[in-house]
Amino acid sequence: MSGQDQRGSPHRRASPGSSEQARWGALAGLVIGLPVGVLMAAQGMLDVSGNGGVTRWVLFAVSSVAVGAAIGVVTGYRPRGLAVAASGGVLVGLLGWLVFALTVAPVLAGQAPTWSAAAAATAYRDLVGNLLHGGLTGVLVHGLSALRARRSPSGTGPAEPDPPVRVVIVGGGFAGVSAAQRFERLALRGVPVDVTVISDSNFLLFTPMLAEVASSALEASHISAPVRAAVAHTRFRHGAVERIDTDRRIVALAAGPDPDETVPYDHLVLAVGSVPHFLDLPGVAEHARTMKDLTDAMSLREHVIELLERADHSSADPVEREGLLTFVVAGGGFAGAETIAELFDLVHRVLHYFPGISPDEPRFVLVHSRDRILPELSPELGAYALDRLRARGIEFRLGVRVAAATATDVELTDGDRIPTRTFVWTAGNRPSPLIATLDGDHARSGALVTDPSLRVCGLDGVWAVGDCAQIPDLDNDGSPFPPTAQHALRQGKVVADNIAAVLAGREPAEFRFATIGVLVALGHRTAAAEIRGRRFSGLAAWLLWRGIYLAKLPGIEKRARVLLDWLLDLVFPRDIVLAGRRATGETAPAQQARDGQPR
Amino acid sequence: MTSTPPLPGPPASSGPASGSSTGDGPVTTSPLRHPAAAGVAAGVAGGLVFGAAMASSGTLPTVASIVRTDSAAVGFVVHMAIAAAIGAGFGLLVAHQRAQAGETLFWGLIYGAFWWFLGPLTLLPLLVGRPVAWDLPGAQALLPSLVGHLFYGATTAVVLTGLRRDAGAATRPRIAIAVRGVVAGVAVASVLYLGLDVMAGTRIGWVFGVGALAGLGYPVLFGARREGAGPALVRGTAYGFLCWVVGGLTLPSLLRDGRLDWSREAALAAADRLPPYLLLGAGIAVAFTALGGFGRWLFVDDVRMHHVESPGGRGLRATGYGALAGLAGGLVFTLVLVLVDGLPDMAALTGARSPAAGLIVHLIVAQLIGVTYALLFRRRSFDLASGIGWGVSYGFVWWVLGALTLLPVLTGGTPQWNAAGVAAAFPALVGHLAYGAALGAVYFRLEDRANPWWFTRNEIEAQRAAMAREVILGSAPALWGLTVLIALTIPLVISG
Repeated sequence: MSGQDQRGSPHRRASPGSSEQARWGALAGLVIGLPVGVLMAAQGMLDVSGNGGVTRWVLFAVSSVAVGAAIGVVTGYRPRGLAVAASGGVLVGLLGWLVFALTVAPVLAGQAPTWSAAAAATAYRDLVGNLLHGGLTGVLVHGLSALRARRSPSGTGPAEPDPPVRVVIVGGGFAGVSAAQRFERLALRGVPVDVTVISDSNFLLFTPMLAEVASSALEASHISAPVRAAVAHTRFRHGAVERIDTDRRIVALAAGPDPDETVPYDHLVLAVGSVPHFLDLPGVAEHARTMKDLTDAMSLREHVIELLERADHSSADPVEREGLLTFVVAGGGFAGAETIAELFDLVHRVLHYFPGISPDEPRFVLVHSRDRILPELSPELGAYALDRLRARGIEFRLGVRVAAATATDVELTDGDRIPTRTFVWTAGNRPSPLIATLDGDHARSGALVTDPSLRVCGLDGVWAVGDCAQIPDLDNDGSPFPPTAQHALRQGKVVADNIAAVLAGREPAEFRFATIGVLVALGHRTAAAEIRGRRFSGLAAWLLWRGIYLAKLPGIEKRARVLLDWLLDLVFPRDIVLAGRRATGETAPAQQARDGQPR
Repeated sequence: MTSTPPLPGPPASSGPASGSSTGDGPVTTSPLRHPAAAGVAAGVAGGLVFGAAMASSGTLPTVASIVRTDSAAVGFVVHMAIAAAIGAGFGLLVAHQRAQAGETLFWGLIYGAFWWFLGPLTLLPLLVGRPVAWDLPGAQALLPSLVGHLFYGATTAVVLTGLRRDAGAATRPRIAIAVRGVVAGVAVASVLYLGLDVMAGTRIGWVFGVGALAGLGYPVLFGARREGAGPALVRGTAYGFLCWVVGGLTLPSLLRDGRLDWSREAALAAADRLPPYLLLGAGIAVAFTALGGFGRWLFVDDVRMHHVESPGGRGLRATGYGALAGLAGGLVFTLVLVLVDGLPDMAALTGARSPAAGLIVHLIVAQLIGVTYALLFRRRSFDLASGIGWGVSYGFVWWVLGALTLLPVLTGGTPQWNAAGVAAAFPALVGHLAYGAALGAVYFRLEDRANPWWFTRNEIEAQRAAMAREVILGSAPALWGLTVLIALTIPLVISG
């Protein structure tokens, strides 16, 4: 399927064009109202002689026009047959009787409306008048719109509008899905866009809960929602983008059934996110595990349980055993702190299954290049987190970096070597490699530099949001926004609004957003949080963490499932099923070499 | 830049008799295929029924007065000519509607009712030089003619459907469906009997027989289509009215005295059976649909026959929207309640008397009903007209069920089903209709904003949405109009 074909024809709700329909309806209402009014006057129903006569006439005219306009709006804009128009007219006419004869007329006469049967009986003649007027107006409105449809050049009604503007969103993370959701709203309001989301994963991953998947507390699929469900009315393409030609404005997909598949765009939104960056340290790319997606979390969990299985009966080499039971995490940011805390919880909550391992054997080490962990938090909370984790026996190697890694140990910059089979890397990210292939201004991190309105500097029709973009924070001396979900969500919304603004010939708005707060879970019933300058820690912060992130999960179904997982976790032990692996007798490095896992 | 491309029209709505031409049956070329011609034939059939009724009540000379004579024979000829002409109009009117008996029936009913207003009340007096009969006494005197017009419309519609239907398209009703209908009828009758006869002491033992018969008639007329309970509820209400016209108004005098008595006195005597008939009809439709759905859920193993969408996610959101829309409708209703001092009555539900308590009770009830509206009518409205249409129809159902039945019973009285009670509850009727209109409109707006089911991505989906819309448009507009027409005129004409 070529890109052109794939565009297809958009199917949107037709714009009612209400004002025009209302005008035609009002005209029809007046045209029908005239004979009805004359008839009523001739029959002495409109008392034109008394001093209320003028009011009666004015009210009658107003109600005729109003009912006609309402009929035009509700039935006129898309002729659905004479019967529908006529019965719609009867309905509106009768409701108009309730409004005008039973409500407005008494009010104008200075009385409170009673809506009583007696009042209705008095106004019964108007009921008949309204009913006939409504029904006949409906017929006339239908006739008029059929006539106009026949008169118009295309013969099908309003002239064929311009084809909608093609917007392609690359990336199905928070920023990309949030932009697509916003576009759905905008399209409903009549913004003529045809949106395609291209993503190499067909689900939106709720990354804050990734560590809990690794620790067997949550089921993997429960923290992810299908993109198709999140944006049900947007075209979705599951595929990897190979190349973007910003001159010809096409996105080329990596070889699928059709090697030349391209998707053309008028506006491109890049929300491709980031990938781990190993800083070219020797052995790290090969031997470190990452915590970026579901596979990482699931594989880390299985890996840890497998090591426990082996350590339970291995008593041979003490160094080998130490390596099996030592877990090293590089990076003291959110991901690193949460990962080490969850690993600790996992190991100690399942240790009762493994009588061969003494509870004081497992060793947890966090390596962090700076002096304090969690630099996003205030120093006090960072120190609090450090204290809590240290109190459990987690070791911290602060002020040093990882220098190299092998299958069996990790070497630090201070020369220390830690024997380990589990090395998780959270110490660096860089934008997706796709970004590097693009022209335009790049920051030192490799991210695309955008202006405050999220337009990529140096590329026309290209916008960037989320972790792959460096967006200046105007309220903060132009320093870049941090790469967090709360920013990505807002950026996605703003980029959709901005594209709509450009399409409408308006100036795009600048992205301004003050971080609401930061939350970090520190394992069992403990967390640290800072929300709008208020600090929380311990159980309160943990409850806050769970409450807030539960509410932020995409979709009520996933919320229910995660809540159930959490509740079940209160009463049942963590699961140690190794679904993906069978014992082979191979050593872990050999198996890793065979699987190509971990990276 | 704001104009958007039009939706593809309903796939098969261009030609006459389109709804029936989707089958594989041979396309006949009979002259009756033309909508107007078929309408004439159907109109003649309807005219015969109506004419027989007029002959039996001796009103044919009234028609003859158009041509300045009072001969019954001439009157009959004139009447048949008019019936044929109006039938042609009906044929043209419903040419674009789907040709199924039950759906066309309601178009026939509202068409007949409209012609009662236009014909005997307006044009006939004008032609013979008399003042039009738009006032209430005039309408009351011409009540027999209204019933005749309803019979005319119904007969015309049914005959027209038969003429438009392809020979091969007719399906024989299955025994199981008939049994389901009877079960639904008896079940609803039992509920009414238990709730009102046993508990509240209203003697309605007759509902069992009527319930069984009406339950049998429902699937015969409308078949066992798969549809939501909400549209079925509205259709059932109109069906209940039809049952009352036949079983409550026509048959008793016919069986007792051997003659038709559609006079206002007869209607007044039968008035206290109208609300239970409406409840019975609505209940049968809902129970029949629910039984069908339950049966499918239990015994149909092919998941393609089930709804694709699980009720969890969006259903819950719909519930929230329903509560919100119900609150909006409740606030509109509050205006009426405050002005007619109805809040203490609502408060009586909890034993209190203060208006504040009444307001709270009222708003809670309004939200609960709003939630049920959301569950029943989710994804059934696609524009403001359909939202308001379902809303007012639902509001009317709750006037009968709530204001006339439950409120008096729950506050220790008996159902206000007699003419006086109905007249006294007229302000509540206005309130319920206003509530329904606001509820339907707001709910449509909310759904439109968040979950627009007709907002489609591709051709297949667009066709599916167009089909769904066409199903709704099949008879729903007639039902909405008919419901409001019944709601506003029948109580007045009978009791006023």
